[in-house]
This record gives sequence, structure tokens and C-alpha cells, in this order.
Amino acid sequence: MTTSVVVADRITKRYAGHTAVHDLSMEVPSGGIFGLLGPNGAGKTTTIRMLMSIITPDDGRVTLFGGAGSGRDLSTRIGYLPEERGLYPKMRVLDQLAFLGEAKGLSRWDARKRAKAWLERLGLGEWSARKVSDLSKGMQQKVQFAGALQHDPDLLILDEPFSGLDPVNSQVMKEVVVDVARSGRTVLFSTHIMEHAEKMCERIVIVARGEKVVDGPLAQVKRDFGKSQIALAFTSNIATAHRLLQDRSLVLRADDLGATAEAELAAGIEPEALLRALVMAGVGLSRFEVVDPSLESIFIAKVGPEAARPVAREVAV
Amino acid sequence: MNKIFAVIRREFIERVRTKSFLIGTFLFPVMFGVFGYLPSALMQRETGARGLVLLDGTTGGTGQRLAAAFDSVTIGDGPGALARYRVVRVEAGGRLDALRDSVVRQIGLRDGPVDAADGILILTGEAVDSGKVTYLGSNVTSFRDMSRLERVLEPRLREERLRRQGAPANVVDAAAIQLDMQATKVTEGKTTGVSSEASFFLAYIINFLMYMTLLLYGIQVMSAVIEEKSTRIVEVLISSMTPFQLLMGKVIGVGAVGLVQIGIWGVTGFYVTSLFKGGASASAGMAVDGTARSMTLPAVNPDLVIVVLVFFLLGFFLYSSLYAAIGAMCNTQQEAQQANTPITMLIGLGMLSMFALINEPSGTMARVLSFIPFFTPIVVPVRYAIAPLPLSEVLLAVAVMLLGIAGTVWLGARIYRVGVLSYGKKPTFKELWRWARTS
Repeated sequence: MTTSVVVADRITKRYAGHTAVHDLSMEVPSGGIFGLLGPNGAGKTTTIRMLMSIITPDDGRVTLFGGAGSGRDLSTRIGYLPEERGLYPKMRVLDQLAFLGEAKGLSRWDARKRAKAWLERLGLGEWSARKVSDLSKGMQQKVQFAGALQHDPDLLILDEPFSGLDPVNSQVMKEVVVDVARSGRTVLFSTHIMEHAEKMCERIVIVARGEKVVDGPLAQVKRDFGKSQIALAFTSNIATAHRLLQDRSLVLRADDLGATAEAELAAGIEPEALLRALVMAGVGLSRFEVVDPSLESIFIAKVGPEAARPVAREVAV
Repeated sequence: MNKIFAVIRREFIERVRTKSFLIGTFLFPVMFGVFGYLPSALMQRETGARGLVLLDGTTGGTGQRLAAAFDSVTIGDGPGALARYRVVRVEAGGRLDALRDSVVRQIGLRDGPVDAADGILILTGEAVDSGKVTYLGSNVTSFRDMSRLERVLEPRLREERLRRQGAPANVVDAAAIQLDMQATKVTEGKTTGVSSEASFFLAYIINFLMYMTLLLYGIQVMSAVIEEKSTRIVEVLISSMTPFQLLMGKVIGVGAVGLVQIGIWGVTGFYVTSLFKGGASASAGMAVDGTARSMTLPAVNPDLVIVVLVFFLLGFFLYSSLYAAIGAMCNTQQEAQQANTPITMLIGLGMLSMFALINEPSGTMARVLSFIPFFTPIVVPVRYAIAPLPLSEVLLAVAVMLLGIAGTVWLGARIYRVGVLSYGKKPTFKELWRWARTS
């Protein structure tokens, strides 16, 4: 039985006009990757800032590592990558990284040693004496990432870690995160991109409009969501297919993407009934598969399509 | 504590390493020398001989004696000294107006002859009696030229008047003796050998120095806060140390840079002035009179250097926490440049108050200004430069400053704490008050 690394107990944060986070409780068990999911503006960053004690909750409390210390007191054991990232542009890369280590409580000598090692590991060794402003955006992101990791924290909190990264760097970062989790440490990251969470997380919490809507191990969440989804891909008579997916006696909910769709069947309807209806209507099918619900569809179902995919919606219209 | 130290070291090293620090350290004294010395040096620059036409309408040798008096005036002292005036005496002989007009026509011509007259002095019997003399010239805007003319003319005319009254020669000679007052500063019952100009000059330097450094270093703190805010690095830092630790580290780090820089200037000043102490003198007077009295450099005593350093530090803490709060309120340097005006004006007022102090450095006004924390850091060192204050008064001023600092740091830290994480619209005064009150 391992204790929880992070416990948030009914935390609430209000700002002048609105409540950013309302009555949110969550527990992050030791080890593994934990996903904090939610659409933009759901309160993810505010939650993380409260966990880090950058801001104090108006109500409720945060417990880290089962003790009384705040995130700031325990910063030696926590690595943190905020959503809005930055470095001192005029500072040399190595000095910068060493300073971040010292801010975390490392000794100067230790901080410099680790900073050097990390720069080598990320392939930035020859840039150590250059100014940060000489680095490309991607290199700067790597330096920031190293800044969060160099003191070997037990808990790594990453706010939207993969946003703004090109696929190659994104992959490098993901591997590092998986490595950290594999070594028995805990990673908590927030994202609004479900693919990342689906591939990496063991447990998730979904927040929307400041409140928690889903909480649990990913497998459990999928099971609880219940009904299997039907993954469909159409080759012809797509319009007819769409009309059938609107038929509420067959389909409870459909995530219609044009040439492909995910459908959730209405109560008491077997997959065969939908297949028969599609075939009878003359719809050409290249795929008809009973699948686990995707995290994306769970997310949309729980959060509502408006909040979940503002960009996709704009494209569709 | 280690974290504060890391912030202090970063601020210090990153700043001292910049070219602007190096340039500033060496350029400031040079600049100060240029601005402090050059104007007076330029005004005292010798301009060469002046052509003077003496239109003589007098009788009884008055004109000749005056011409001889002008002839004997030299530029500087010593055997090789050149004559200051090229004097041409013209007998008026009843054609005074016509002669005057013909000479005036040649004055100030752009393409005139090389040794043309610069001015014409009209001397009549009545002029000697009444003391009302007319001078027409191209150089009347020069205070110095005019005062030099007066210094020659005045005693000579007095002499002529006495002569006309039949005064004996010894009375005439006694009346011709000129005033030459040497003002020397007395401090705590001891004469210092420092002239009044030198002591004014030192107070002027200290005033300017305090004003510049408080302003420059205060604004550096403000810029540093905005830099951290706009590059968003502040959030990582705030996650591992308290905003107060970060603020204090920054303020102490920047303050240390200031201390080093002023220390370098102070030691240099002390060394340079003690080099010149033994008799050598530099002419850097503010005086505009004709004697061009050379001035001994003011002594920079170690106790003055200490007072300057202590009050710089106190003033810097007072103002920089306010500047940090301004930085935290704003999103861009441009925004902050406007928002800091009230604070910059407070420092400016402190500097201007020097001109109220200089006449009465120990008066009521000076005392009151010494105990208003916003003015103390400039007023006390300036007063100290004019005349050292009793230790009790200095300590009281320090105590007042510490109280003031406690106030501004409290306010600054509270605004800073909320401000560094707030982006967007600049807060209103009402919002600022709410920031300050939230625990």
C-alpha cells in the first residue's frame, strides 16, 4: 500500500469575477503517470498552481508526500514546468540551468555538475557558454525541461508539457517522462490533447468549468463509461450514413467526423442492428469495429462538445 | 537562505559582467567632470586681448592715466604675461558724437580688420563726476568682460574724483585698495582650508551622485522585475521560493552592485583629492568674476564616503521596493516608464531641495527635510558634505529611514507578490489596495 503523493481536499479558488476551481478533490498515488485533463480554461493551471503553493486555495487544503510541508517547502523533491515558460534571455545556458538548480535547493557545485550532465544528455553541450537568446525555441524548451528534472525530483508536475513542441522534440520529452515514471517516481501532467493522455496515463482526472467530472484509473474510467463504441469508416453513401447516425432509436450519441465516426448505441440495441441498417441503406463500409470508448469520446461526453473541441467545430462549419 | 543567496549572486554577477556596468563605472566620473567642470572652464577660458577705444573727453590727464591703467592689465601673472587690452586713446576735442559714430561703425563687423576694436568707452568730465560711464561694444553679453572692465574702471574713477577734490596722495592710494575676501569653511571649530566654492562643488557632486544612483539602480530593479515577469521565468522561481525571498534577493543583489560602483568612485575620489591636497590646485571654480581664482579640490573624507554609502543603501532599499512594486504591476517596460513617474519625481524633489539647503545647511528646513524618509537619503549626505552633522542626528536619520523602509518594503512586497503573477490590465488603485491587504 503506497501513500498518495498529492492529495487535494476540496480546494476552491475564486477570482474577482468567477470561480476558477470549485470544490476539487483528487489523489495522485505514488509512481506512474497521472493526467489532469480538461478543455482550455477549465482550471487545470489554477489547480496546478495551488498544488505548487504558488497561489493559496481559498478553501480546502493540499497535502504533498503525506506531510505538512507546502509545495515550496518541498521544492527540492518537486520538479515543475509551468505552462508559460521562460528563461533569462541574456544569461548563459549553463549558468541559467545551474541557477534553476540552486533555486531548487541544490548546492552551487552540485547544480553546475548536474546542469552540465543534462546539457550533454540533451545534446546541448556545446551551447553551454552561449546566451539563452542564441538558442532556438526548441532548444530553449529542452533547457526548461532539464531545469525541471535536473534535481531528480520524486514528483514531476508538468503543465501542458508537449504544447508547442515539434514531433521530434515532443517524442524526446515523452520518452524522458516515461523514463521518470519507470524509475518509480510520480509524474502529473496536464493536457487538453487526449491522445497524449490516452497513450501515457495510468490515472486521469477530467475537469471542466472548474469542477471535477471524471476521476480514476484510465481502464476503470473506460469500463465505467459502459457501452462499447462502434468505430466506423465509410466509403460511399456517406450522407445516408450520417442520417442513420442521427436516428436516436439506434444511436444514442455519435461523434461524426465525416468519413469516419464513433457511435454509441442506444439502450438495447446490438451492434448487428446498426450494421444491418447501414448495409440495407447501401452505405459502403471499410470499417465496422466494436471498440473500447476512446478517451476523446469520454471527454467529449463528459465535458460537452462545445468546450472540448472549439477548433474542430470551427473547421467543420 | 541559500536560495536568497543564489538570487543575490545571480543578480550581482549578471550585472557586473555587463559592458554597461564597466562603461558606467568609468564614464560617470568622466561625464561628471565634463558637466561639472567644462561649463566653468569654458566661461573662464582666456579669450585673448580685447581691442578698446577710449574716447577721451576729459581734461587734466584723466584719460591718459586711465589708458595707462588699462595697458598695465595682463592676462595671468608672471613676467611673460600678455596685455589684456589693446588700448587706443582718442582725444574727443568737441567732436565726441561724430568720432563715436565713426568708431561704432567698425565694431563687430564680420569682415573687419583683424585688430578692430571690440568696444568703445566714452569718458567725459561729467562721467567721472557722476560715475555714469558709457560702453558700447560687441562683448557686452560677457559677464566676465564687463566685470573686468568695472574692476579696472571703478577704483580709477574713484581716484580721479578724490584727486579733483584735492585729496592727498596717501588718501587716494588707501581708497584704491581692492576687496579680496577669502571664504574658508569652518567645521566643528576647525578651519578646513576648503574654500566656499570647493565645498559647494562637493555638495553639488554628492547631490547629483545620490540622485543618479538612486534613480538608476531603482529603475534597474524595476526592469529586472518586468523582465522576469514578461519572460515568465518568475513562475518557476516562485514555485521554489517565496516572492519575498525573490524580491529581497533581487534588491540586495542590485544594491550590492550599486555599492561596489559607488565604492569605486568614493575610493577614487578620496585618492585623487588627497593627491592634490599638498598645495597643488585645480581651477574648477564656479566663480565668474575676473580674478579667475583657482580653487583647491574639496577633500573627500572617509567619513563622508561612509555616510554616502550608508544612505545610498538605505535610500535604495526605500525606493527599490517601490520600483519593484511598479514593475510587478506593469506588463511592459513602456508601461512601467509611465507608472514610475511619481516615484521618480520624489527622488527629483530630494535633489532639488539641495538648493534650499546650500544657504542654510543647519537651518530648520534642512533639519525637517532630513527626517522625511523620501528626502533623507539625498539631504543628509549633501548636508554632511557641506558640514558634518553630529552623530546623533545621523543616527536619528538612519532610524527614520529604517521605519520608512519597513513601510515601503511591506507595501512593495505585497503588491509584488500578487502582481508578478497577474497579467493583463494594469490594476487600479482600488485593486492595488486589495492586493496589499490580502494576506
